[in-house]
Amino acid sequence: MSYVIIGNGVAGVHAAEAIRRIDPDGEITLIGDELFPPYCRPMISLVLEGAVTPDALPIRNDRFYDDLGIAPILGSRVEDIDVDNRTVKIANGETVPFDKLLIASGADPRPIKAEGLDLKNIFYMRTEGHVRSMLTALPKVQKALVLGGGLVGFKAAYGLMRRGIATTMLIRSGHPLSMQVDAAAGELVRENLMGRGLDVRVGASVTAFEGRGRVERAVLADGTTLSCDMAVIGKGVLPALSFVPRDKIGVDLGVLVDAHQETGAKGIYAAGDAAESTDIARRSRWVNAIWPEAVDQGRIAGMNMAGRAVAYPGSLSRNVIRIFDMDVMSGGVVTPETDSVYDVIHFHDPKRKRYRKLVFREDRLAGFVLVNAVEQGGVMLSLIRSETPVVVPRERLAAPSFNWSTLLPRAG
Amino acid sequence: MDKRYEERSIAQDSRLLLKKADRDGVETVWDRFEHQQPQCGYCEMGLSCRICVMGPCRIDPFGEGPQRGVCGADADIIVARNLGRMIAAGAAAHSDHGRDLVEVLAAVAEGKADGYGIRDADKLMSMATEYGVATDGRDALAVAGDLAAAMQADYGTRKSELTLVRRAPEKRREVWKKLGITPRGIDRETSEMMHRTHMGVDNGWQSLLLHALRNALSDGWGGSMIATEVSDILYGTPKPTPTSANMGVLEEDQVNIVVHGHNPVVSEMVMLACQSEDLIALAREKGAAGINLAGLCCTGNELLMRHGIPMAGNHLTTELVLATGAVEMMIVDYQCIMPSLGQTASCYHTRMISTSDKARFPGMEHREFHPDNARELARTIVREAVENYDLRGEVYLPVTPVAALGGFSVEAIVGALGGTPEPLLDAIKAGKIRGAAGVVGCNNPRIKHDYGHVTLTRRLIENDILVVDTGCAAVATAKAGFKVADAIKYAGPGLKEICGALKIPPVLHMGSCVDNVRILVLASALADALGTDISDLPMAGAAPEWYSEKAAAIGCYFVASGVYTVLGPMPPITGSMNVVKLLTEGLNDAVGAAFAVEPDPEKAAVLIRRHVEEKRKRLGLDAKEV
Amino acid sequence: MKTVVVHPERCVGCMQCMAACATAHSRSKSLFSAIHERPLPRPRVHVGAGLCNEGFPNRCRHCDPAPCRMACLPGAISRDPDTGTVLIDPDRCINCASCAMACPFGVIRYHADPLGPPEKVVAVKCDNCIDRQAEGRIPACVEICKSGALAFEEISVAMKRKTDQVARTVSSDVGAAPSSPGFELLKAVKKVEAELRASGR
Repeated sequence: MSYVIIGNGVAGVHAAEAIRRIDPDGEITLIGDELFPPYCRPMISLVLEGAVTPDALPIRNDRFYDDLGIAPILGSRVEDIDVDNRTVKIANGETVPFDKLLIASGADPRPIKAEGLDLKNIFYMRTEGHVRSMLTALPKVQKALVLGGGLVGFKAAYGLMRRGIATTMLIRSGHPLSMQVDAAAGELVRENLMGRGLDVRVGASVTAFEGRGRVERAVLADGTTLSCDMAVIGKGVLPALSFVPRDKIGVDLGVLVDAHQETGAKGIYAAGDAAESTDIARRSRWVNAIWPEAVDQGRIAGMNMAGRAVAYPGSLSRNVIRIFDMDVMSGGVVTPETDSVYDVIHFHDPKRKRYRKLVFREDRLAGFVLVNAVEQGGVMLSLIRSETPVVVPRERLAAPSFNWSTLLPRAG
Repeated sequence: MDKRYEERSIAQDSRLLLKKADRDGVETVWDRFEHQQPQCGYCEMGLSCRICVMGPCRIDPFGEGPQRGVCGADADIIVARNLGRMIAAGAAAHSDHGRDLVEVLAAVAEGKADGYGIRDADKLMSMATEYGVATDGRDALAVAGDLAAAMQADYGTRKSELTLVRRAPEKRREVWKKLGITPRGIDRETSEMMHRTHMGVDNGWQSLLLHALRNALSDGWGGSMIATEVSDILYGTPKPTPTSANMGVLEEDQVNIVVHGHNPVVSEMVMLACQSEDLIALAREKGAAGINLAGLCCTGNELLMRHGIPMAGNHLTTELVLATGAVEMMIVDYQCIMPSLGQTASCYHTRMISTSDKARFPGMEHREFHPDNARELARTIVREAVENYDLRGEVYLPVTPVAALGGFSVEAIVGALGGTPEPLLDAIKAGKIRGAAGVVGCNNPRIKHDYGHVTLTRRLIENDILVVDTGCAAVATAKAGFKVADAIKYAGPGLKEICGALKIPPVLHMGSCVDNVRILVLASALADALGTDISDLPMAGAAPEWYSEKAAAIGCYFVASGVYTVLGPMPPITGSMNVVKLLTEGLNDAVGAAFAVEPDPEKAAVLIRRHVEEKRKRLGLDAKEV
Repeated sequence: MKTVVVHPERCVGCMQCMAACATAHSRSKSLFSAIHERPLPRPRVHVGAGLCNEGFPNRCRHCDPAPCRMACLPGAISRDPDTGTVLIDPDRCINCASCAMACPFGVIRYHADPLGPPEKVVAVKCDNCIDRQAEGRIPACVEICKSGALAFEEISVAMKRKTDQVARTVSSDVGAAPSSPGFELLKAVKKVEAELRASGR
């Protein structure tokens, strides 16, 4: 049996390990774009910030490919999949045959439309390589511009501020982290960051960068300019699927998979940021491009590829970030439309800087946002994931005293 | 309205102010209650002992861990010792309060208490007669001096029984004598309780509990009774007086001064100062329409009973009153004053003044009151309160006050009945009024604020049981609108008829928590008129939201006096089922009454109705099945 | 292998396990000195309040597989092969709170710890008192618990007892008599109080 895994990110690595546990003899080929050993992508911002050195990033040691008997093809992107002839074509023209294929190609930064993107010191922040280039540029940087108020934008801004660089964040939507949290929590985050010196501008977007060789200023949609000697673009990611033949393999935003992570094309699987599976909380298809789902999906895809039928219960969006002294955690459906099937409970304690928002669908928890006191977030995620009916009064979940035993059956 | 606030209180003013407090970032007693959960089960069961330093010890209620403290005390002994000390503290609090009044009386006699005087000379003379003090042709001040001395002797150890014990029905005193629990000295019984509960003294849980009853009786028929009677002598015996209650009694356009605590010694002088023309004029200069004095808790009840001073709230609302932003000054004396108040006030412009040499609080200015400086000091601090009006910020007074009638001393009730208790007895005999209940006690965040008081009272009057109340319970029912003549609409037909004819509310405000002794005096009068014991009467006591050691002492003197008493919260006794059984059953054989514990006021009402009907049956009156 | 078994019905909510745990994870190992240490040692067992304010000693279950371990970004969470204890390496921990999202019991806390790197906020949770066990001592929370809510037992014995208990419940109409009528009485009162507070009345 020959297995080909596209992508040496966390989904690919976990898939390879799962395959190897079940099938000691199969041939595993792992095709990866990045040369760095498999590493922890969410930690690259810690390298920018200076909290860890790049040697803390790898999730497996350098004997990983050898130990697992994997043939790695690194530094190459896949160009095409020939579904009928069971081969993949690599950029150098080489073709690799497969019996079972996993698309774990991850995602690429969402590009922006602006002039002058070819100037120096304009970065995306997606890979270890990106951060390494940023670090090289940093010593000469005094004023940075971050485009986007999502997770990546935040982590970039936070890292730059920790490096002592004056940072301005431009957000197109009304509040930061609009994909992760609701407006109330977003506002708390914005206040916190501005209190720490971040210049946040909402409703702003860049139309052009200008400079002589190196970026010197950004021109905004309203015609004003902002001087800067560095810009980081963090406008989200898009699944990296340019090589997927859409007539043979179903693609929506991500590659459509069934409960076994298998695509419509038999023997071809997808996992991680590239895959679109069922979202438990939303009860619809969704791409949850987050690390822990990539771990799970990779492992489950691997097991299924190796012949052990294991179902994946669906994915669940969730995130936690810590910015200075503020923690923000969210999970599931956080901003349901009004007049929808969802009920919402808020709890705000301005004195202790705590905010809780719980979203219910019928008798189930469907989502939440926590600002500070995030320790019980795992209990809430577990409630959402297991779709456990909440029989205790809902307010108890929003109360500061909420803990696991609140959910226990009543005494006596 | 947010469900969290609805869960905490049934009072609309409290709910709205809780929301404001949250918005203002002000922590309340409910927040702290929540943060304390879970509370220690050993302590809740009375099974932890900190009496000596061989310990601390605790007993495993499940029988596998330690079953004896280091000294060898078992669960029964530890629970009984702890309860004994609780009652000793409660009795000490009431009785020391009484002592302070006796000292004012003595100072008045010596002419060293400017501003104070003898307001009810008749009561002075009748009390003097009870105490064997000569009155014939004597000057009131001379009598007062001798009466004060005689009362002080009641505090000591030289007597075989307290003077006022003689007010109890003959049969009751026989019961006490037989059990050996006739109280001898007010301080003596408390002191003896501390002695008995020292390691290695009284290790009989039954004898400890019997002494607890004696200690409680030294409060009810001693310290508290003196406190009430001397207050009447000094400030007047209450008569029915219109007043109003809830946070709406604070005035948006006036200087608001709130008195809080228990002892009327300070607040009477504050009231006089608030009425003085020059200070009112100063208030007008500051742009205020006047000076508005309002009460909280039992200091508030003392002023309400005698002068109709309006009542801002009860125990759990003391922090919320500050959150109105409308209080220029809060003046406190002692007991039930949350140590958090100073911090609460720091969020607003309110100045906090502590006044008693024995009660200090963080975040309060200490301005010590004594009989000889009280009048002048009261004027000084009221002036400062008026000056503080300049600093007032946003005010939130979202409710209008509820009218109430206060002032039902025993004398006032008998007066309303036409000078004799007979009409009340006749109504009881005829079955129009089934019986009476004293609903008393505090607030406790364990019970939804005011829910216990109001629900129980509503159910009792609906079923033709006359309710007399005191303390925080009395404030709760005033806010609920039960204390106006029109409230007979909530009463059953018989009670409605009688109260309607007498033009009194079906719920009678009898005063502060020391004034629970007025209930004992009234019960004695009814028992005497029937030639029976208190325990034969169709009456009961209830403390639906009690929290304090004082309330524990009151409950014990009620039961020891023959009044069946239903507690809302459970006292810390469940670590010993022997103690539980004795208090809820065994005492019936000893004193003809016992405790019950029932946190649900709907069920407590049923227990009381059943008890009342049972007593009616035994008296040969018509009785209903409940 | 012995493990800490929780008997929630026996928890009286005294929180002594919390104080004992914090002391056991202090530098001085003495309550009187521990409260003066900086950073303050903190408990790794947390007595939470249930719906009727009954206590529950919530501690790490040392799950296998452990979701926190799978979610840990820097690979700081591992399992001790001898005791089965799930351990967090404070030097590798990056305080990202990914484990907070993973733990279905909410037992992980984040703070500087006297036993961790100085001034570094890290994820902290129950370590089964692995150091005490190495000295032949039982976990501190078990040692202090006098009501039997926390026991240190052979897991096979505990499982057999539970199995027998379930079997008895199934085969008999009457449940086992409460072992402490006083505690049952207290719980009944607190339950009524809690229900009345929560009720719309």
